[in-house]
Amino acid sequence: MADEAIFDKKKSHHAKRAGRKADKKKKKNEVDQSNLSARQRNPKAFAIQSAVRAERQFRRREDVISKKQHIPQVDKTPLEPPPIVVAVVGPPRVGKTTLINNLIKSFIKTNVTSTNGPITIVTSKKRRLTIIECNNDINSMIDIAKCADLVLLLCDASFGFEMEIFEFLNICQVHGMPKVMGVLTHLDMIKNAKTLKTTKKTLKHRFWTEVYPGAKLFYLSGIVHGEYLRNEIKNLSRFISVMKFRPLSWRTTHAYILADRLEDITSQETIRKDPKVNRDVVLYGYVRGVPLMKEAMVHIAGVGDMKINELSYLPDPCPLPNSEKKRHLMERERQIYAPFSGVGGIVYDKDAVYIELHGSHSHKQEDEETNEKKALLKNVVETKETVDEQMQESGFKLFSGGAVIYPDMIKDDEYLQHVKSKDNDSDESSADEESESENDSGIDQSEKGNNGKIRKLPWDNNSASEAEENDELKDNKTDSEDDEEKSDHNENFSTKWKEKLGEKATMAYFERQKTSKNIMKLVYGDFEIGNKSKEQNQKELESDSEEEELGGLFKKVTNTQKKKQKQKDQQDVDECSFFYSLNKPNLRDWTSEENKQYLINRFVTGKRSADEDASELLKLDDASDGDEELYGDFEDLETGEKHVSEENANEAIKEEGAGTKRKAEPMKSEILDKKLKLKAKFDSEYDNPDDHRIKGDHSYYESLKAEALKQSELNKSVFENLDNGLRVEVEGFRPGLYVRMLFKNMPSEFVTNFDSSYPILIGALNMAEQNIGFVSCKVKKHRWYKKILKTNDPLIISLGWRRFQTLPIYSKIEDDLKCRYLKYTPEHVTCNMHFYGPTTPQNTGFLALQTVNNNPNEIKQLGFRIAATGSVNEINKSTQIVKKLKLVGTPLKIYKKTAFIKDMFTSTLEVAKFEGARVKTVSGIRGQIKKALNKPEGAFRATFEDKILMSDIVFCRTWFKVDVTKFYAPVVNLLLPAGSKNAWQGMKTKGQLKRERNIHNDANTDSMYTSIDREPKVFKPLVIPKALQKGLPYRFKPKERKTTLSGKSPKNIFKDRIAVIKSPHEQKVSNVMKMLKTNFEQKKEKEKEATTERLQKHKKQIEEEEWRKLKRQKELKKKICRHLSKLAGKKKPQM
Amino acid sequence: MPAIIENDVLVYKGSNLFRQRVLLSILSGRAIKIEDIRSTHDDPGLREYEVNLIRLLDKITNGTRVELSETGTSMYFQPGILVGGQVTHTCCTQRGIGYYLEVLLAVGPFCKEPLNAVLQGVTHHDLDVSVDKMKSAALPVLLKFILVDDGLDLKVVRRGAPPLGGGEIVFRCPVRRHLRPLQWTKWGLVKRIRGVVYALRVSPTMANRVVESAKGVMLKFLPDVYINTDQCRGPNAGKSPGFGASLVAETNEKTFYCAEAKSLEAGSGETSLPEDVGEECAMKLLDEIYRGGAVDSSFQWLLALWMALGQKDVSECVVGPLSDYTISFLQHLKEFFGVMFKLEVLRSESEDEASDDDEEHVTKAQKVKMTCVGIGYVNISKRTL
Repeated sequence: MADEAIFDKKKSHHAKRAGRKADKKKKKNEVDQSNLSARQRNPKAFAIQSAVRAERQFRRREDVISKKQHIPQVDKTPLEPPPIVVAVVGPPRVGKTTLINNLIKSFIKTNVTSTNGPITIVTSKKRRLTIIECNNDINSMIDIAKCADLVLLLCDASFGFEMEIFEFLNICQVHGMPKVMGVLTHLDMIKNAKTLKTTKKTLKHRFWTEVYPGAKLFYLSGIVHGEYLRNEIKNLSRFISVMKFRPLSWRTTHAYILADRLEDITSQETIRKDPKVNRDVVLYGYVRGVPLMKEAMVHIAGVGDMKINELSYLPDPCPLPNSEKKRHLMERERQIYAPFSGVGGIVYDKDAVYIELHGSHSHKQEDEETNEKKALLKNVVETKETVDEQMQESGFKLFSGGAVIYPDMIKDDEYLQHVKSKDNDSDESSADEESESENDSGIDQSEKGNNGKIRKLPWDNNSASEAEENDELKDNKTDSEDDEEKSDHNENFSTKWKEKLGEKATMAYFERQKTSKNIMKLVYGDFEIGNKSKEQNQKELESDSEEEELGGLFKKVTNTQKKKQKQKDQQDVDECSFFYSLNKPNLRDWTSEENKQYLINRFVTGKRSADEDASELLKLDDASDGDEELYGDFEDLETGEKHVSEENANEAIKEEGAGTKRKAEPMKSEILDKKLKLKAKFDSEYDNPDDHRIKGDHSYYESLKAEALKQSELNKSVFENLDNGLRVEVEGFRPGLYVRMLFKNMPSEFVTNFDSSYPILIGALNMAEQNIGFVSCKVKKHRWYKKILKTNDPLIISLGWRRFQTLPIYSKIEDDLKCRYLKYTPEHVTCNMHFYGPTTPQNTGFLALQTVNNNPNEIKQLGFRIAATGSVNEINKSTQIVKKLKLVGTPLKIYKKTAFIKDMFTSTLEVAKFEGARVKTVSGIRGQIKKALNKPEGAFRATFEDKILMSDIVFCRTWFKVDVTKFYAPVVNLLLPAGSKNAWQGMKTKGQLKRERNIHNDANTDSMYTSIDREPKVFKPLVIPKALQKGLPYRFKPKERKTTLSGKSPKNIFKDRIAVIKSPHEQKVSNVMKMLKTNFEQKKEKEKEATTERLQKHKKQIEEEEWRKLKRQKELKKKICRHLSKLAGKKKPQM
Repeated sequence: MPAIIENDVLVYKGSNLFRQRVLLSILSGRAIKIEDIRSTHDDPGLREYEVNLIRLLDKITNGTRVELSETGTSMYFQPGILVGGQVTHTCCTQRGIGYYLEVLLAVGPFCKEPLNAVLQGVTHHDLDVSVDKMKSAALPVLLKFILVDDGLDLKVVRRGAPPLGGGEIVFRCPVRRHLRPLQWTKWGLVKRIRGVVYALRVSPTMANRVVESAKGVMLKFLPDVYINTDQCRGPNAGKSPGFGASLVAETNEKTFYCAEAKSLEAGSGETSLPEDVGEECAMKLLDEIYRGGAVDSSFQWLLALWMALGQKDVSECVVGPLSDYTISFLQHLKEFFGVMFKLEVLRSESEDEASDDDEEHVTKAQKVKMTCVGIGYVNISKRTL
């Protein structure tokens, strides 16, 4: 065995110790293989095997990537977003209210008794919801679709999808698709399990085709004790709270508010005097979309365009919890705010406010929340009282608790911090503080910087200071200007420049440069900050003037007077955009050595600041490489000192050097940061260790994305540390703020007919959107709508925030870009539509309805109510729609190629307008209108390319401009009385009116059928010219007509003879003669007959004789021939 | 002078800032009424050049309604829609073409069709920005907002000096649906200086003398100075004699400062030396450079306008000290669009350090950082297909 083993033993492996392979292996082993990827260990295995396949793979990957890419949009969601609007939509009796109740219960663990209007609840630490129910009115459906972020589309599964659902989805598609989740209810009505399954499936697929494949559809399988199953509701609420939203283009350009509280602050006395008087109404709500500007026009859907008289923000009634530590919401942080439904403690009635108390002991345990609520309550109650007392005041005193709000608004005012003028010493600031404490609003603080200047009048208020500083600047200037203006106003503007004036202007300029005053104040004067209203300012102004008069030892000119004077001075100054507008200042002599120093660093040849200078940067790099070198030897360039590295001495030296150096050395950490950033950048650009595949170039897309991200970060950060009052001024009321809007002169019906189940949507209008013009858009009739649409039939259009009725004209763009009038919309293709309406940005979607009336009979007849959809193309102040018009005329007289045409025009003036126009006959002979004729009014001379016939009809093809009727009527359904809010009736169509009044059309007489009698055509004889006749053969020649002696044709010979009337005797004679003649003729005839008979007889006789004769001759001939032949036969044998 | 608002009509008093008001009225679509136009003057009412401006605006708009009172001292202006397109206009010689061109430039991107305007008149005027300055300093500002230059162009066909003018320019401007927000807080250092010196109906040596003196000043600061001379002859030289210069300083961040100077008007009796003109121009340019900022001081208002008309995003720009004209423009912007700028005076560290002695204090002119949120203005006149 052992031997065998010895024999079997194979040569063991000897690892190479030297040579090429050993070197290779050694090299490989130098690196630790354990943590390398397979690719790194064995790169060959990953090499490209087939170039074609690699190319295909690459292409596919790129396709997939680019399909995913969207145009990067700037993210505009604010840090504290407004509550998400969840709309519960569906036909009546599908369980909307139940669902809302259940959702609220699952979110905040309280029952609500009634669900009217929007209900705002806090659902998580970062999210709030505003739940709103949509009633069964197409107006509400449209408004809800415009503001909802998430739609819960309820459907009765036992019935299937109803028309309302499809209508609503269509409305959503037009106005920007919100997230839609379907919810099937009444599933327990289907008893059969199999039917249930198939129903679910068919409904799901139908829903997917409408929304998108894979859209979420919830099943609420049944109701237990009037509630849906708890875990199903929980699931639904989870889905709601993690929902993400995509920005919609209309809402990222417009601010909007869904009002959740309404107050009428008109004084009771005026209402008592006239119940129909226009009201002052206050609406509350969260700003959504984009920041709302203070002086914006808004459109209240269902009411009309309004101007916000006052806009201010309030503390959030339903705030997000501010503590960041806990994972879950505290019980008391689960708040609910629904003034219309009477939850949250307060019920607003028309003339009273009811407060709900939680049992008799509830007021004992006063925690934060109840305190807050109380404060809120108190305010409201206070308001109500003040309303009764004085209506004007109430608006501002409404939140006298505002004292809590306002002062801290201004405290950390950023721009104020810049105001650090030298004179503003400690004593000044103490004075400021005094004034602060005296005045409750913040604006006075903004004089911090200026108070130093206006020491004479410490009590003087903002406006004064503004005027002062402006005056100081401009007094000299304006005076001088004025002098100048007067002296040489009508001469050349540019001739005389007095040296002195120039100097003064220069001085003023430099002074302004030196003084670092509050520049915003200089520009905007006494602007309102935050919640301060104009009227308040006005009051302050008044008080100012009073005060001045009181302290009027010096007879100082009041501010108002001064301002007026200034205005007067500036009123007619010539406009010039130069820096030194009209004065020519003495410029500094920049060539002088000292002045040159200021400028020299503005050029590339000069010294740069520390963070730009290449040499400095290099130095920094060196410094960061070795820590020791950071404070190594360096030479201060400006002082010329040489610094030696000494740790202790460094501090002192640095302090010295800092004064002269442009920028202090950056800290070590800064440098490190910078280096890390650079490294990361380099890495991302040059190596991708985890993925070795070839990547496409997405740099353009990435750069766009980065730009959008940068912009959104800037948007968020730039005003972050600005105080709220000023921020609101500059940025507008950002989304998420709870605002109060005062509208004056609201129609009283809005308040008296108020119904909280209708949403109040307040949409801000951007610049120029409040104007009205001609809108042209492309439109397509909805394929489910049964009728086609007729031009100039009133149509209700929902466009932008608005719903309005207008008279559209349809048209079609021809190949020569001419808009041609169409009487009806074409089927299945888009056409153009023009109407008179509000200017709305291009590409805004709209939908059209023929009626918003919710009369069930009418709906049943119509089926689907959305008549057409489309989008805006263009806005203009005039339209160019034309209709084809054929003018018809007949020849009056024809010369060779010229003809006079009549009946085409009625007057010479009309002809004059058409001179040179092209005309054409039916047979296609073209011509031109030349000039009007005198005689028959409206006739003209025209020339043609050939001679026309008198029977020709002459056409002139023209285009007739059709005007769009200026009719625009907003749908004011919110003003209608409670029961008939869904029955708004605007302008009726002509057809409707005729049907109602039973008017029948008179038929056009031209269109009526009549019997046609045609006269036979008589042709003229053919006349052949003589010259031609000569050449013709005889048979073709026209034969000579018979001529008589008189030269008349034989036909007409008796024509002009006189008729002979015979006497009775003559008549007798002629009768006898006639009889005789007849007798004679009779006789003759008989004779003739007899003759013919005799002749025939005779003929027969002769024929018989002849025949006998012939017979005899034949026999004779026979005999002779026999004889002859006998004779011949005898002779023959002889031969 | 703040406006009084009556029925959504802005009512102003006085003829001052007429152009700003009309311009903003057109852009915002809000009607204005101007009262007391030189009502106390010997020659009351609108001047010829103002009427001329309205004529021009009428040409580029559709549906504009202007009502003048009998005396011409009050005007109601209801703006229409900006149409643009091909326009030929003879400007009034009381003001330069710049007066009209600035308006066209401001509204140019918001027309229905690309603007192609031919303006005739005085190309160089004391009161107005000259066409050279517009070309070299204002167009780059617009370019920053529209980013792609597809046909933004200003061509000086003929030059014309006051009082008779005779110049002609062609201005082309593309249209945009909206302007992009702009962040422009750095303007860099001046890297080159260019210039044009023109001499109309005067001896060609004049131009050379101007160049000589201007160059003499500028070379003390920067070696890269080139100044062209534009010797116009015949009909190209306009109707009146005159000469002048405009110098442009370009920074490495594409900011252009421009200064100009011109000779006195022909009929005024006094004469100006070419050397003086050159030196004045150079000094003005240095002054402009000293003031700094992202744009030339004459076009601060254009910058502010386009910032305000941007999308609803934050724009940030740093400019030199605000001119009076800009200040009143900002006030008007607030009245017409409700947009308010956040203005901060920037102070560099060196200034703080150097605040001890006054001389050092002025080394840097005041820099104002303008920040605003655009109002989300879209070009509603443009047509989409």
